[in-house]
Amino acid sequence: MIEVRNLNQTFQTAKGPLQVLMDVNLEIAPGDFVAVIGRSGAGKSTFLRTLNGLLIPTSGSVIVNGTDITKLPKRELQKYRRTVGFIFQQFNLVSRLSALDNVLHGRLGYLPTWRGLLGLYSEADYQIARQQLERVDLAAKENARVDSLSGGQQQRVAIARAMAQQPTLMLADEPAANLDPVLSEEVMRTLKRFNEQDGVTVVINIHALDLALKYAKRIIAFKRGRLVFDGLPTQLTDSIVDDLYERKELLA
Amino acid sequence: MTELLLYTAGGVFLALLMGVARGSMRRWVVGAGLALLVVFVAFPFSRARGFLSRDTIDPTLLGLTPVYPLLLLIPLGVLAALMLARRGAAAGWGGVLGGAVVLLAAGSWYAQPAQLVRMQPINGLMELLVALGVASSVALLAFSRPKQRLPILLAAALAGVLAFYWFHAPQGGGAYLPKSLGYYKLFTPTAPESQTAMVEAYNQALPELNAIRRELGQEELEPIQSLADLQGAIPQQASSEGYRLVQPATTQYGAFGLFFLAGIMLGAGLVLLRNPALHEPDDWRAGILIALVAGCLIPAFDATEFDLNKLVVGWPFLQQFADRAWPPLLADASTERYPLQEVLSQIAVTVQMALVGTFLAAVFAMPISFLAARNVTSGTPLMRSVFYATRLFLNVLRGVPTLIIALILVAAVGLGPFAGVMAIAIHSLTELGKLYSEAIENADKGPVEALESTGAAGVNVVRWAILPQVLPLFVSYTIYNFEINFRSSLVLGLVGAGGIGYFINEKMASGQYDQMMVGVIAIVVVVNIIDFASSWLRSRLV
Repeated sequence: MIEVRNLNQTFQTAKGPLQVLMDVNLEIAPGDFVAVIGRSGAGKSTFLRTLNGLLIPTSGSVIVNGTDITKLPKRELQKYRRTVGFIFQQFNLVSRLSALDNVLHGRLGYLPTWRGLLGLYSEADYQIARQQLERVDLAAKENARVDSLSGGQQQRVAIARAMAQQPTLMLADEPAANLDPVLSEEVMRTLKRFNEQDGVTVVINIHALDLALKYAKRIIAFKRGRLVFDGLPTQLTDSIVDDLYERKELLA
Repeated sequence: MTELLLYTAGGVFLALLMGVARGSMRRWVVGAGLALLVVFVAFPFSRARGFLSRDTIDPTLLGLTPVYPLLLLIPLGVLAALMLARRGAAAGWGGVLGGAVVLLAAGSWYAQPAQLVRMQPINGLMELLVALGVASSVALLAFSRPKQRLPILLAAALAGVLAFYWFHAPQGGGAYLPKSLGYYKLFTPTAPESQTAMVEAYNQALPELNAIRRELGQEELEPIQSLADLQGAIPQQASSEGYRLVQPATTQYGAFGLFFLAGIMLGAGLVLLRNPALHEPDDWRAGILIALVAGCLIPAFDATEFDLNKLVVGWPFLQQFADRAWPPLLADASTERYPLQEVLSQIAVTVQMALVGTFLAAVFAMPISFLAARNVTSGTPLMRSVFYATRLFLNVLRGVPTLIIALILVAAVGLGPFAGVMAIAIHSLTELGKLYSEAIENADKGPVEALESTGAAGVNVVRWAILPQVLPLFVSYTIYNFEINFRSSLVLGLVGAGGIGYFINEKMASGQYDQMMVGVIAIVVVVNIIDFASSWLRSRLV
């Protein structure tokens, strides 16, 4: 159970302070599949990065299973983060390493620091990593350098890395925006499968509205830092979408 | 005189030559004009002698204006030319007029006889310039910070005032830079009576002086009619009272600069008269640039004693050198001299010095560079201060050239390659530290964010997200650094730090040029091999 309370995020920029999130309140139940929509710059990415503590909010709290993760000391925060997978638009793989090495990075949080430095993963870690590669159909490519893989394959490696953390929450920031429609569907199906089979909570930022409506159980929408919609995909009417993307103003 | 005419003709010729290219000529009128103003104010033109050679000073034209007011025509002529050049069509007349006025005024000063003048140091001028420099460099900060403009400008003014008073105070800047106070001097004419009095005093003392010269076997001196005939020094008393004998015809570099620039101005003006369309909108900017370059280059040529004549004088040596250096002596069994053998082993030592030095530097630079990378050290204030300390350490040490480190180390650990290796290692450490840390700072942030998201500890993020990215770059930089180190280890031999440089220095000093040549050829060959191998290796890496 994730509770977000009175969340505010302000960045100091060269042009002065910029408020990205304004008084956001919401709850996410375990096993949910939430799609976050909104225009670029509406605060979606900031919201996602606040959920795993990559960003510390200016004020407000994010309470996960009873603990406020915005107040955690560094060590505890790292411990929390290993239970949260994160998938990026740019994949963010270490491209000079093999697919297996990249997936093993998902296990680093579970290793003592010195073993991590030397890359001394346990047998169990290898098993988990190989298993995840298999689940994304890349078992054959485990020794291939990541920069020799295609975009779709790279994103699957990134998903396997996140799943190797054995997360309870999976965050995805535009995971399909760099991929063609077929691969986008594939990524969404993979996430859906993890959501259903492993019971992982999924929160995903997405531009493609059709994919959001097709796969998500719940849709939330941001407009200029405010939460403006929270409901079932069926409740999202055209007028809400028009308002969200400010289409009328564009047409006028 | 002929020299000055040559410079003028050179300037005119250069301007006509550029006119052929049909570029804007007005910029040359403007550039030469602005540079002429600099020459007039700041560059020494004639020589003024005192008693001792250290009393000699070289006045500027501005400084001489009270002595010879006609010189004022130079800035007036130039300003008139610049005014005319502002309106494109009249630039030609401006150039011709300005150039001619400058030439005439400076030429007529050149033709003046030597005369006694009195120097009047301008007190506070140098202090004012220093203060302005300090103030304006502080004020520059205000450019990028529009919000704090007022306090910065106030601080600049304060810094300027403080600098002025510190410099001006009796125990202030003048104590360290005694020449700078009153450095700029004006010269005022003296009454004719004092000049004739000096001539008479000279003639009176002449018999005594000639008696001494006779004993020394030197030529006797004739009595003089006027100060213009005076050879050498003026009396000590007059010199210490601030009198100088200014000799207009004893020209300094400012004179050559002035005649050359006036020639350019004149020539450019002539071209413009024939074709008034040769001007462009940004001529003023180009002109300022030309004046800046000329203002820096003219004194630089003088300060470096640039003189092609020296090459002509030295030519016989070069011929003799070539005769004795060729053919190179590879081996001579009759005298049991084997230069090739020695060169090969010394070259090997040189390469090995570079190898060991580069290796040591790389080993130590690796950890240090992470401490000197901004993105890795942003965590805590402690890390931040470590970052600044490391940066400072690297920057300061990088300023000390390898050769100087080697000089000190040779004194400490004795002659031989070890001093060279350590010098290379220390200097390379700073170079590699900078290159490595820049590679780390430019590493892709994506994987860092991704690994932070997996809950990995900070050092593991660096180990797995940054290190794999930068390692190939590290290797490439290290190879390149080895290439540089090989070349600097050649020079290190000259200060006794071993290797082929030592061999060459020794053979040069003992005049065995044919043996030295073997070393030179070996260096050329090995430098090229290493350059080639290094760029091939590096191209394979990226």
